[in-house]
Amino acid sequence: MKQALYLLLVFGLVPIQTTVLTYAGLGGVRPDLCLVAAILVGFFAGELDGLLLGLVLGFVQDLFSAGELGLNLVAKGSAGFLAGMAGRYVTNTTPITVLTTVFGLSLLSGTVFLLTVGAGGLAGVSFAIWSVLLPQALWDATLGGAGYWLVARYIRREQAILEGPTGWDR
Amino acid sequence: MSRSTSGTRRVTLVLVALLLSALLVFPTQSQGLLRHIGVPLAPIVTLPIEALAALDRSLRDVWEGYVALHGVHEENLRLRREVELLRDQNSRLREATSASQRLTALLEFKGRAASKTIAAQVIGRDATNWYRAVMVNKGEGDGVRVEMGVITPAGVVGRVVKTSASASMVLLVTDPNNAITGLIQRTRDEGIVEGTARGLARMKYIPLLSTVRAGDRVITSGLTGGFPRGLPIGVITSIDKTEGDLFQSGEIVPDTDLTRLEEVLIITAPRGEAESDADALSAQPPQQRKP
Repeated sequence: MKQALYLLLVFGLVPIQTTVLTYAGLGGVRPDLCLVAAILVGFFAGELDGLLLGLVLGFVQDLFSAGELGLNLVAKGSAGFLAGMAGRYVTNTTPITVLTTVFGLSLLSGTVFLLTVGAGGLAGVSFAIWSVLLPQALWDATLGGAGYWLVARYIRREQAILEGPTGWDR
Repeated sequence: MSRSTSGTRRVTLVLVALLLSALLVFPTQSQGLLRHIGVPLAPIVTLPIEALAALDRSLRDVWEGYVALHGVHEENLRLRREVELLRDQNSRLREATSASQRLTALLEFKGRAASKTIAAQVIGRDATNWYRAVMVNKGEGDGVRVEMGVITPAGVVGRVVKTSASASMVLLVTDPNNAITGLIQRTRDEGIVEGTARGLARMKYIPLLSTVRAGDRVITSGLTGGFPRGLPIGVITSIDKTEGDLFQSGEIVPDTDLTRLEEVLIITAPRGEAESDADALSAQPPQQRKP
């Protein structure tokens, strides 16, 4: 089940990101589905799953981006790993925790891109911060928080069905 | 059991750490390795991209063909009146332009028609927000190579920066990482056309003594590979001339609407190579020529 879901993410997210999601962009900026997926998997399945899925998703994203190969691979792998570590050490994970983590990691990964890619001088960097970096981080955080809330709700419901009514419920 | 799982986890983490270190320490070699790994993976991911692009096209056709036809009657009447006026103008202008058309067609044929191109469809955009690039449905299997120029009948689109077996990434002329050599049509001054962060283009290194002004057209100079000479790039809208600088620069609005690209032409052989191919063909004995 888990492997099937990962395969679906690997072969489904980048096609959605490059085609359908172009309509969802606000001011031409779209959420980074691969980053959000790597972070959510890190939170739910641990740092190793987050790292490995992030690496693969980042690599596929690299194949369909104009940049050098390896940049997304490292960015998404690190994000998945860091999210897994956060999930391990934060005692009570809530959608707000995830939202904040995704926002921070998106800003971090975006800053790495900005420094590596270059945006055409100082004026270009300032423009890129306001027109790409921050809007994308907000997009990612919203999507991450909502995604976490949905998945956590689904898991809780499944667990409740498996465990049956408890003594308190009776 | 838990010890072995923990051991596997540690080994995997160490391997990944080594891989990432190798990527950072040997960037050139790792690019080659990653390219090799990507060869079988890219065509598999291209399939759903093409399927989604086809679905997108058919949905857009339905939208444009039926839903978006609201108010077409009024627009039709207005356009008919405009056509009447334009017909009158057209007949007068046709006579005046026929002579110059013959000459420019002759010159343009030499400059442009000799290029070999293949048509490609735009199937997607860059997978990140950091590059202005589009994905086209022609790749190495169709003869597309990195650094080839990409155009539409309106003008320059960009150049190919990455290829797989069945798809290629085209970096648009408005991306800050793109640079092509341009020529101001009126003054014949050359410069480098680069993208800007705001999604336009800028021609740099225009000589200080140049009489360039807003409204001047910029074309490809043909000095660098990928593009033949004379393809339209755009129109200069403003000039930036700072005291003390050795050069001036001008902001360009591209002729091609890069936000609505659907079909493009990839230049597989700019003029020089096409000419040499033509020469080779004409040098062959007549019976060996292909029909």
